Amino acid sequence: MNPIASNFSRMFVSAALGLAAFCAHAQQTPPATAVPPTWAQGRTAEQANSKLVPHPPGLIALPTEEIPTAKLKVPAGFKVELWASGLPNARSMTVGTKGTVFIGTRFPGNIYAVVERGGKRETHVLAKGLHRPNGVAFKDGALYVAELSRILRYDNIEDQLEHPPAPVVVFDALPKDEAHGWKFMTFGPDGKLYFQIGTPANIVVPPYTHAQIVQLDLSTKTIRTVATGIRNSVGMDFHPVTKELWFTNNARDWVNDDLPNDTLNHITRKGMNFGYPFCHQGNLLDPDFGRGRTCDEFDAPDMLLGPHIAALGMRFYTGSMFPSEYKNSIFIAEHGSWNRTTKTGYLVSRVTLDKNGKPIAKEPFMTGFIEGENFWGRPADVQVMPDGALLVSDDVAGAVFRVSYPRK
Amino acid sequence: MFKHFLFAALTAFACGSQAADIAAGKLKAQTCIACHGENGLSGVGSFPSLAGQPSLFIVYQLFQFRGNQRVFAPMNALAQDLSDADMRDLGAYFASLPGPPGAIGQDTKKIAAGQRVSDANHCQSCHTPDFRGQKQVPRLAGQHVDYLKAQLKGLRDGTRMDIDGSMASAAQGLSDADIDAVSHFAAAMNLAP
Repeated sequence: MNPIASNFSRMFVSAALGLAAFCAHAQQTPPATAVPPTWAQGRTAEQANSKLVPHPPGLIALPTEEIPTAKLKVPAGFKVELWASGLPNARSMTVGTKGTVFIGTRFPGNIYAVVERGGKRETHVLAKGLHRPNGVAFKDGALYVAELSRILRYDNIEDQLEHPPAPVVVFDALPKDEAHGWKFMTFGPDGKLYFQIGTPANIVVPPYTHAQIVQLDLSTKTIRTVATGIRNSVGMDFHPVTKELWFTNNARDWVNDDLPNDTLNHITRKGMNFGYPFCHQGNLLDPDFGRGRTCDEFDAPDMLLGPHIAALGMRFYTGSMFPSEYKNSIFIAEHGSWNRTTKTGYLVSRVTLDKNGKPIAKEPFMTGFIEGENFWGRPADVQVMPDGALLVSDDVAGAVFRVSYPRK
Repeated sequence: MFKHFLFAALTAFACGSQAADIAAGKLKAQTCIACHGENGLSGVGSFPSLAGQPSLFIVYQLFQFRGNQRVFAPMNALAQDLSDADMRDLGAYFASLPGPPGAIGQDTKKIAAGQRVSDANHCQSCHTPDFRGQKQVPRLAGQHVDYLKAQLKGLRDGTRMDIDGSMASAAQGLSDADIDAVSHFAAAMNLAP
């Protein structure tokens, strides 16, 4: 910088500081305004006094005898039972080759394993004190856990549930933002790990590293972007036939009660961008960031799932227990709304696809977590079991339910 | 009293658990008096007053002490023997008590500076405009300055865990002077009975 410019900038800075001091009535310089908490970011001035705040995180499991399983409703012919309880904040699930169900958590830092041996169901706490270990995936005998910024591997885990080995850190270079930093993780048919890096706020122009789904190649330890413009996807699965990646996406808050919708999407090519923060749900320009943009620039979702429902875990139904029309349907755990005057979600829904693989209908599949405005549970993930039953985790009740279709 | 009970009962219901028992909580709180004072009003600056705290805040902190996620050896030891039901009863009891009055005779300049820190860092978004707290978010109004300062520093420096990372994020940009000021602001906040 030349001396004159430097001098000028010094003058400018001191003038600005002088002005700041004046504005603060000659008291302390006011601190720079920090970013509001994620949930409150993006409110309009009128919304600043809104009574809507996120629900307390599920941290404690309901005592088994207090879990009102009988309130859960499923279509005729199906049956719901309480499958496991006493698992605080039970969220994402995966199944090992020997049938062990592994369950991640967001808040207590625990990883659970539930396994049936000799007709008895055992529960193990495999790990404690991890940092937001929400993502779990299984491959070649090993459990992979996605923490906030690291991926861990527990080798040969199903043979040592009582004395789990120390984890191997397989990747340690992910962003450390707490906001939308927890992961949903799954293996692709290509043997690579897939997970999201959520946007670090409610509605901002994210860093180029964020608001996307990425792929981690374990052999080279390299990360590649799979698709961008995805606010926060906490559920994804590969189509059993097309092998394309489908995912749920959580839309922004503080537009209004009915917009924008959470979405169901799938990836058909490289370089797709689903619009965040400029365009939501394929056809709604953001009130702030949408100015001067058009939704035509972006890829559209396959289905609008409903506003604020918090669509989390999703799986294709690949089992053989349910009636044949359920084959390759998508089950979605709708965690339920907070940023809406009247609550919505709090159920497991089923999306049916037509013969071309296009979603055509969504219907409630498992309801009863909420009565009026009072919920006792919140579905977080769904998992198809080897026998074809569907497990549903609940991170408020700290429990897992099993939905089956008993043959007469 | 009835209003307090109703609130605690509603809170418990909203969180999916059966109504907690204030009377049982009072009996179980006898151990707490030594440090946290009679009626949940602590006389020692480093120990928090528990009176008037949201019941879920008490429950969640006890849960985290029991699991050693929040570390303070005496509390970790005491929490080991508490059941979830004990925690709910204690939460209901402390929530039913009138909270501490605002500290008086504080440095008004510091309080004003603390208000600016609070405004700039959006403290009232979660802790509510009068710092009464809500759900799992603690009441700050009338709390001891020393305790608040120690917690904020711990949250900023990563030595005190918080449930979802919100407080670690919020405290990142705070200087020691900011922490001192905002703690004075909270301590002086006086809620009408």
